[in-house]
Amino acid sequence: MINKMLIRRIHTVFLIFSISMLSAQEAIPTGDELIEKMTAIMSQEASKALIQQVITTSSGRERTFEFEMFTADEGEKTLMRYLKPSAAKGQAFLMLNNADDIWTYFPRTKRVRKLASSSKNQKVQGSDFSYEDLGSGDAWKNEYVSTNLGQEKYAGGDCWKVESIGILEKDPAYPKMIVLVRQSDFYPLSIDYYDDNGNIEKTLILSNIEIVEGIPTALKMQMVNHAEGSATLMKTISITYDWAPPDNFFSERTLRK
Amino acid sequence: MRKLIKNILLLSIITNFSILFTLFSCFPNILIPRSPNLTILQSTNILIAQSTNPLSFFGYYEGEFDQVRVSDATYNYGYNKLRLDLEENPDENVTIAANLNILKYDNNTTLNLLDFLPKSIWKPIFQPEELPEENWLDEFPLTFSDTLYLDNIYLRANFKKFDITVGKQQISLGTGYAWNPIDIFNFKQLLDPTYEQTGVNAIRLEVPFGSRTGLDMIYSPNIDFDNSAKMLQLKTGIGSFDLIGSLAQYNWIRTDFVLGEIKNERNLIGGAFVGEIAGIGLWAEGAWNQLEGNENFSELVIGSDYTFENGLYILMEYLYNQNGVSDFEKIDFNRFLQYFNGEIHSLMQQYVFNYINYPLSDLVQLSFLNYANLSDNSIAINPQITWEAFQDVSVSFMGNYFIGEDDTEFGLQDWGWRIRIRGYF
Repeated sequence: MINKMLIRRIHTVFLIFSISMLSAQEAIPTGDELIEKMTAIMSQEASKALIQQVITTSSGRERTFEFEMFTADEGEKTLMRYLKPSAAKGQAFLMLNNADDIWTYFPRTKRVRKLASSSKNQKVQGSDFSYEDLGSGDAWKNEYVSTNLGQEKYAGGDCWKVESIGILEKDPAYPKMIVLVRQSDFYPLSIDYYDDNGNIEKTLILSNIEIVEGIPTALKMQMVNHAEGSATLMKTISITYDWAPPDNFFSERTLRK
Repeated sequence: MRKLIKNILLLSIITNFSILFTLFSCFPNILIPRSPNLTILQSTNILIAQSTNPLSFFGYYEGEFDQVRVSDATYNYGYNKLRLDLEENPDENVTIAANLNILKYDNNTTLNLLDFLPKSIWKPIFQPEELPEENWLDEFPLTFSDTLYLDNIYLRANFKKFDITVGKQQISLGTGYAWNPIDIFNFKQLLDPTYEQTGVNAIRLEVPFGSRTGLDMIYSPNIDFDNSAKMLQLKTGIGSFDLIGSLAQYNWIRTDFVLGEIKNERNLIGGAFVGEIAGIGLWAEGAWNQLEGNENFSELVIGSDYTFENGLYILMEYLYNQNGVSDFEKIDFNRFLQYFNGEIHSLMQQYVFNYINYPLSDLVQLSFLNYANLSDNSIAINPQITWEAFQDVSVSFMGNYFIGEDDTEFGLQDWGWRIRIRGYF
């Protein structure tokens, strides 16, 4: 009798354990789900921000810029205008279709020039951010296939480690990326960008994450360029997501303003 | 209601500004009645009093030293330039801007233009066989005087449906990099195609119809309506291409050594596009020019550029100018004068421009400019290195080397170099 009860209890415990294991397995999100959730947070409908950018060159010299940045359609449209320093004041960039179309405005000559998309992976104003880094919006979720590599501790928190491999036909910015996504809110804390040889080319570190208008926002983003030994820190001075662009805001007309 | 009053106020300023501007341009000696002036001042005062932005001052200092070897003579020359920009936004949709340029020339401030021209061009004029030798001339001095001038001074207002700019303003037209056939207002310097251009007296009205389509109307007044430049441009975008159609009519004035100037009514029909195919930038710009009392001609520029993964940037552009001469022997002294004065785009018919840039580091750019005159097979080669020495301070060094026979456009010169420092504030 006792044996029968014991066996039944063991069965029950095993059953509960199995069910909990199964549900735990079901709770593990896939890489694509994680990237979907991450880009949903990162690519808000619209935003307007004032950003300070400090570039530390490979020789250790610092260059400080300040620009205003406007985004819409979940980052598919971006307009940047430099306010400082004097040499860059008034220079502006308009990026549409996730930085496939780029126009740049030179205030000294009052001329707008369209850049070919071959330049979209080039540095913006000598920083470690490319046009594509700043203007590609949520293109990530369509241009990469992502795999959840499991859990990892980072900056004192639990993260999912996600590997994103670029789909060649979609001309991704990087062949591979490794992202550490915070488990609590699916916000990325670190992104490693790989080059064609499989080496880490750049690392983006997101910190000072605060809730702005209900949305987690990294007030500091540092891009470390391992290949060149330089780094660029972007500090958000102010940001709002409660901004609706006026009609035809993302146009050459606004660039010239 | 406040918005309506503000708009009425703005329109009043612009209307008055436009009337005054047109009057000043057409009849520079007339006495301007007092009332419109006062109205402008009153309106401007009200707007500036409302302004929350302080008047901004910015600009740059530029110093340049050049040395050039030509016709067995070496010239040293250079300048110090201060550009002071002033800008005020009395309202978020209004900009009043001006800039003052101070230029002080050093070293050789007078060049002998004849040293820069083939002897076969100037000899018939300055040393004609029919004159005795003691009456021959061997100098045509070109003097650079220190100057202080107000380059641009304009008011720009942005309304919901249109933008209007009134005053002396910089107008840059076309998609070409080194040449712009549809730009009737400017002339690009060969070695500095991206240098700022001087202001044009004009009223410019830009009417957008959507994010990529718009109408651009420019009226640059002269002594009367017939002598004024009128331009109409329609811009639109299809896919990754931007398209421009242009119509212009103006009096084309060129220097003439004997007559002082020659003038032809010029009607221009032009078009341009810029876009890309598979990451390769492509553009073209062309114009057909109908001249009253002279031969019609067309100009065409086609260009392409590409940026490689490592940052190497390559640009190529080709110019065909039907107005240019096909044979160097057909060039006369007037054509050189017109070219130096920026009244014609090129001396001869066919040119190629190449530009290569490579970032050696975040602070150092190495570039290479090259002009080739395909009509006389002469070439100008210009390597350049630019160093951002400090924040807002850049130093550039450019070398010039010329290849070609002595009686060719570029072959006449031997070599040259220049150093330029620019500091922004």
